[in-house]
Amino acid sequence: MPWSDTLWPYDRAGSFGGYMVAAVLAVSEVVILALALHPDVNADYRAYYIDRTTTCLNRDALGSYTVGQRVSFRSDGAKQAAGMLVCGWSGPVADGTHSLGETSRLRLEIPPLRDGLTATLQMAAVIRPPQMSQRVLISVNGIPTHKVTLSGKEPTTVSFVIPHAAFANAKALDMAFDYLDGIPPSAAASNIYKRSIKLVSFRLDAA
Amino acid sequence: MAKGRTNKLATVIKGTGHASSLTDQGKHFEISHDRRSIDKRLLEASAVVAVPLLFAISGIAIRYAAFASVSAEPDFESYARALCRWDCHWYVDISELGYESFPIPNQSNVGRWGFFPLYPMLVAGIRTVFPFPTILVASITSIACSYAACLVAWPLFGKNMRAYVLYCAFLLSGPFSFHFTTFLTEPLFVLLTSCVFLALKRSNYLVAGVSSALLSATRLVGVLVVFATAIQMFQQHRGQGNTALSFPRWLLSRPDLLVAILISPAGLFAYILFLYVTVGDGFAFLHVQRAFGRVAGNPLLFLWDGLSAVPTTGWLPTAPQWSALAALTGLALSVVLAVRGQYGAGLFCAVCIILPLITNLASMVRYVIGLAPLIMLMAILLSASKLIWLAILVLFLGACYFMTMAWIGGYLALV
Repeated sequence: MPWSDTLWPYDRAGSFGGYMVAAVLAVSEVVILALALHPDVNADYRAYYIDRTTTCLNRDALGSYTVGQRVSFRSDGAKQAAGMLVCGWSGPVADGTHSLGETSRLRLEIPPLRDGLTATLQMAAVIRPPQMSQRVLISVNGIPTHKVTLSGKEPTTVSFVIPHAAFANAKALDMAFDYLDGIPPSAAASNIYKRSIKLVSFRLDAA
Repeated sequence: MAKGRTNKLATVIKGTGHASSLTDQGKHFEISHDRRSIDKRLLEASAVVAVPLLFAISGIAIRYAAFASVSAEPDFESYARALCRWDCHWYVDISELGYESFPIPNQSNVGRWGFFPLYPMLVAGIRTVFPFPTILVASITSIACSYAACLVAWPLFGKNMRAYVLYCAFLLSGPFSFHFTTFLTEPLFVLLTSCVFLALKRSNYLVAGVSSALLSATRLVGVLVVFATAIQMFQQHRGQGNTALSFPRWLLSRPDLLVAILISPAGLFAYILFLYVTVGDGFAFLHVQRAFGRVAGNPLLFLWDGLSAVPTTGWLPTAPQWSALAALTGLALSVVLAVRGQYGAGLFCAVCIILPLITNLASMVRYVIGLAPLIMLMAILLSASKLIWLAILVLFLGACYFMTMAWIGGYLALV
């Protein structure tokens, strides 16, 4: 006979104690569940882990950069490139830094400037038939700046002007790459593994 | 030998009286009978204790032989490190460093939150007493947990020694014994699962509840064992001739049963609270799965994809095929458990397989072999014939060597 059969029915105090323990457990679990259903997290955490609205988890990366300098995103420029990579990248490796997911971001420190900048990027599309091209939307500090369609395996040089308004009061230049045609490694794979481009080099010049 | 000793003892007892009456002879017979029964029990207890010990030793020897065949470093620590693969490294980190808050250091997306805390905490606690490298402490703890899991399982085998031997061989010297002897949660999970089902067998619901609470802090699916407890309660209620409709009322009239049910998920809730305080998100262990690339999908499609991943060369099934086969075998055995009247165990095992299957087939082999009721059932079924039992036993010991090599080599199906 289980101990409970012998103890509980005949022990009122024990029975009351049992109900109290059960009540405490139930209330604690409800309170913890309520807390868990209302997470106290920042917007970046929420966007990546909870809402899943981005594949690029923002981090406080900030690379140092001198205007006019060309930064290689191949293995040879790993040291400088690494500081600029915020999220959505894999590498650098021999043929560049590969995008990972649906968005990638670079962030670099910039001095106060009077005019706009010209960005010159070398990028190659990741191609897997039937996907033969990659459309990339580039924004700077949240302002859409350029749209490019990359095709072919060889790197393409892309130049565009970044208006001064995009970074006028900012100490950092945050460049986001949104990919419209990312290729998942398999049909069931998560979108965090999509491949779109390889970034080969990056340069900013005064416009 | 014990029997002979008992007979001798009985003869000595009988021979002590020169003019023994019939009553004396009866007493002597009772004494000798009791003695024989005690000796039989002692022999059985010795076997129950010795069998897993022998397999623990043979398992270490076989796995070490497999390790030595591919490694130049012969020491035990190198061996323990070689067996520490995949998730093992996460548990080593948790045991040594604990859990991160957010943002995660080193600009990583993958926090340790997805790995449950009880086993790394246990290892960390033991390490404070025995200050050796974590992997060494964990490996020894895992062997001890698996050994204890065997002992706890013995009453569940209903005196079926052959099945017990096979079960012990599987855990400690079998083809997947590295899962039960390195720093993974499987050893503790199997031990606690056995504790829950033993407590349920004895209708000791409070012990089952406390064991379930610990199980829910070991792995997420551990919380599902509460359904087995509820089913056992229901079966007991029905067994007393009551109607199904009166079950809720009966349950509410029994505070001990309420406590047993409500305490079962306590480990999980404690972890949720910890994550809320540390990360700000109590469900971080679920949400972090995104960073591991796990996405919800149709389990049937995952199974089909796995089965249809045919090998391009050779005839051996691919890793996805092994995983799909493991899931299907596990589900089939769960059905057999239910058919044999073990509804709670069947449901628990089936849900423990289906839940991870919703995301993909990853680690499916490990998840299935870590379900104690399934492995016990398999041991019982395979020990029905002595010849098959012997063949399987030899197969287990031989496969231990080759599977350990595959594990060290990083074979994906074993992840």
